[in-house]
Amino acid sequence: MEEKDCEVSSSSDNEAGFPNDDDEEFHSGGSVPKLQFRVGSSKGRWIAELGMAQVEVKRGKLWTTTGIIRSGKTYCFIEEALYLSEIGELQILGNEDDIVIPLKDLYEKIAEEKSGCSWDNYEVYRYLKGLGYILGRNGVSWTLKDAAITRPNGEEESACAGECLEDKDTVTKLLGDMHICDAKAVFDVYLPNSRFKKSSPGEPSFVACFSGDSPPSKEDIKVLQKRTAAPLMFCHVAQGRASFFSFSSIDLPVLP
Amino acid sequence: MAPRWKWKGAEAKALAEPVSETVLELQSSFAQTEASGFLSSCNVLLSVEPEQADLLDRCCFGRPVVNVEKDKRWIQLSFEEAFFLFYKLKCVKISLHGCSLENEVDLWRSMSSFKPNFATSYKAYSHLRSKNWIVRSGLQYGVDFVVYRHHPSLVHSEYAVLVQSISGIDRLKVWSDIHCSVRLTGSVAKTLLILYVNGIVKTENMNLPLCLKDYTVEEQTIRRWSPELSREDETKT
Repeated sequence: MEEKDCEVSSSSDNEAGFPNDDDEEFHSGGSVPKLQFRVGSSKGRWIAELGMAQVEVKRGKLWTTTGIIRSGKTYCFIEEALYLSEIGELQILGNEDDIVIPLKDLYEKIAEEKSGCSWDNYEVYRYLKGLGYILGRNGVSWTLKDAAITRPNGEEESACAGECLEDKDTVTKLLGDMHICDAKAVFDVYLPNSRFKKSSPGEPSFVACFSGDSPPSKEDIKVLQKRTAAPLMFCHVAQGRASFFSFSSIDLPVLP
Repeated sequence: MAPRWKWKGAEAKALAEPVSETVLELQSSFAQTEASGFLSSCNVLLSVEPEQADLLDRCCFGRPVVNVEKDKRWIQLSFEEAFFLFYKLKCVKISLHGCSLENEVDLWRSMSSFKPNFATSYKAYSHLRSKNWIVRSGLQYGVDFVVYRHHPSLVHSEYAVLVQSISGIDRLKVWSDIHCSVRLTGSVAKTLLILYVNGIVKTENMNLPLCLKDYTVEEQTIRRWSPELSREDETKT
């Protein structure tokens, strides 16, 4: 059934990795001084109940590393939508009408922190994306064939519970782990990879975590590390600069 | 970071003379000739035979006090070094106000009265020494200790150590502390190592060296990652 959806819809993501209809190259807009919407940029529609945009028109290869697929349709999180809008690759239309949502409104959505991404989170997203890294939301599968899209409400536990109910192990892990943790795992980060596939992304290089105003406590680090096999990197954002620190448990060797 | 040996052949020399063996030599020398020192408010002054001074230097305990005396050498030891030599290696005797402190409890109490965080500092020191790492003061790098894989004449120190006590003053409370310490230790090619000394201190054992058994030590490194340097070059295809 889902195969048919993939063939019929021209805007569905091609999971086999063949080039899209449009051969235009992805511009890394970060270093271009004057950004403008290029002719025929991608288009999406904001869905307020989801806090996400559904992609309706795709242009460029950037969609191989951006957006999640649910039943053949592509959706993007606020940080993805904002980033692509900032660099002129995406125009987001309103829920009710076809008016392009201005950047101001998108910035406001980030500031409100209702869609699972804060400004700090976004600074890191934008910085790493600009360098070519691939980022996904921690705990959210890149692609699910039969699942309907569910709202990510910013709590990684709930997002995971919504998406991963197929995975009984995850639920057990979540229930057994009721420590109140000040730190959060936000993004799965992959090294730049031209052969990245949403259908098999592999393990992320690290998980970007945020501990807020203070450095993470030893206990919070333990809790987060138990939930993921990948290394953790704690991000600190100040004055528009993002720094990354790893806090690793070691066992100093006994010397002869 | 791989160990940075100071000269060609240094690594081979280190392999040929393990720290643990020099420590055994030290113990046997002091067993034959007793050494005694006395406690001041900030250190212990020890008088030893020249050969013993040499052994102490090879194991990196203390600093020599330069004077004209020829037949004896004077070494000044930190509290941690002195207590380790006294309690763990059973090498020295220490006296206070002319009375020898035979009982480790008395020595422990005296040192703790002079230095409030002595217990956690000593636990961290002895934890590192027990793994045969050379431990020296890290003051000039803004940390508590620096540790060497072998004698400082052979190798640069690899880790700059901050001791974090479960019940004491918090180090690295805010992000700027982390930035500061990581940058400082990185600029001298060392990795920042935090030792968490966790003490489940039972009140009846408080102030006694016995409480050391109840303390555990956890190690954690803090490193800064640079995204520009880490990506592969297949970015734009």
